[in-house]
Amino acid sequence: MSDAAPSRERSERMLRIARVVLPSAIALASLVAWEAVVRVNAIPHYILPGPLMIAKTLWTDWGTLQPALLVTLRITFLALAVAVVGGFALAVLFAQSEWIELSFFPYAVILQVTPIIAIAPLILIYVDNTHVAILICAWIVAFFPILSNTTLGLHSADHNLVNLFQLYGASRWQVLRYLRIPAAMPYFLGGLRIAGGLSLIGSVVAEFAAGTAGQGSGLAFRILESGYRLNIPRMFAALALISFTGILIFVLFTAISHLALRRWHESAVKREN
Amino acid sequence: MTFSAPAPQSHNTPSPDILVHAARLSYGGDLLFDHLDARFPGGRCTCLLGPSGVGKSSLLRLIAGLAPPGAGGEVIGGDGAPVTGRVAWMGQTEPLMPWLSARGNVAIGPRLRGEGGYDAASRRADALLTRVGLAGRERDRPATLSGGMRQRVALARTLFEDRPFVLMDEPFSALDAITRFALQEEAARHLAGRTVLLVTHDPLEALRLGHVVHVMAGRPAILGAPITPPGDPPRDLKDARLLALQGELLDRLAHAAAAA
Repeated sequence: MSDAAPSRERSERMLRIARVVLPSAIALASLVAWEAVVRVNAIPHYILPGPLMIAKTLWTDWGTLQPALLVTLRITFLALAVAVVGGFALAVLFAQSEWIELSFFPYAVILQVTPIIAIAPLILIYVDNTHVAILICAWIVAFFPILSNTTLGLHSADHNLVNLFQLYGASRWQVLRYLRIPAAMPYFLGGLRIAGGLSLIGSVVAEFAAGTAGQGSGLAFRILESGYRLNIPRMFAALALISFTGILIFVLFTAISHLALRRWHESAVKREN
Repeated sequence: MTFSAPAPQSHNTPSPDILVHAARLSYGGDLLFDHLDARFPGGRCTCLLGPSGVGKSSLLRLIAGLAPPGAGGEVIGGDGAPVTGRVAWMGQTEPLMPWLSARGNVAIGPRLRGEGGYDAASRRADALLTRVGLAGRERDRPATLSGGMRQRVALARTLFEDRPFVLMDEPFSALDAITRFALQEEAARHLAGRTVLLVTHDPLEALRLGHVVHVMAGRPAILGAPITPPGDPPRDLKDARLLALQGELLDRLAHAAAAA
């Protein structure tokens, strides 16, 4: 016992360090290898720029990239916010009435399974304002995981507890407020994590679909534009920014989810075994 | 043995009987029981045994008002008032809300009834948690409590409601033998004076806790003749008479299972 506790503590600490060090080491090794391949083979930068050059481009072109990043971020988070509010409200409505759910859920599915890239051109034709059109595209993609996860969560409250609430005379609203919504939180937060990434993808895809009509819009437009001008380093720089944004969104929502659930949910409670 | 009552107890006079008249309930096309009449004596603990699926839990649900008693059927208190709304319930698995502390779980009733006085409710919840041996764990979430502790929280919640009728559906079945033994004793002590209906699969548990024990059998099911073990619960399991009764109960249960 006296030996086991410290050694377990030590192995846990090792694991924590390894979790950061190992992926970082792989990233560093890949970047060095990439740079080496580019230099040794003297690959011209309009075919494949090395990571150092991409970093330099990020720095020198920050003036064009930064406003584009802000546009993409704004659309992504706005779409996500609307998806959260809409998806959650609709899920609550579905939980209140089976008839409403039966009537409308198939359409949510249809909206989800139709590839956004196929709908985007139509939306761009019918909606004059390109920003609004892109926002709608991103919303369509982000909305479904919130709706379907929250719906599942609201239905998954322990039926023994539902009975107990009935016995204690709880109203529909109270069952929702004190039982169904808390029970749905882990599902909702899981949906939020997926929707965060998807809304970024949605806004990037829609920008691509908008093409030159998306003049002055986000990072995807910058990638297109740089492609036409054969400015490959800037393409990579914009791509890197999109990736960073995606990673940041994922980390952000993972942290939010952990903070919200760590007190009680099986996925976040620290266990001995 | 006396315990300081944390709140005015409503059962100074024994709780009334529970009367079931001509109850009828079908589930999934099967008629579980039909024209079922029963009287569960007030202030006593009645234990129901029977093969799985015979309708014991369904009978509890019917008495609680969670299932309708069928056309012409009726569930009523011995005092003439309805049973529904005066029932506390304790189920099989720990039906606790994992996002609430032990205290929050115990004091959920006042919140649902929209009663103010949150502090008073919390104090009473804490006192009850102390009574079931969970002093110091009031703020803990269920995930950090053992199975026995969670069931103790559920017991405290049942006591918190202070209802005359207590319906228990295999409340100790998921516990290990030692914890079950301890909790049976606590439950018997704390629920004395109330009309308790306890569904169980364990003949010894029924003999230990029940003033009256029925075996429920058949389809549609009927209640067998009552067995009344000697003495007051919680009984000492070393009593040889209980062992003899256990043999008889097992006989009846085997017959009931063969008939089903």
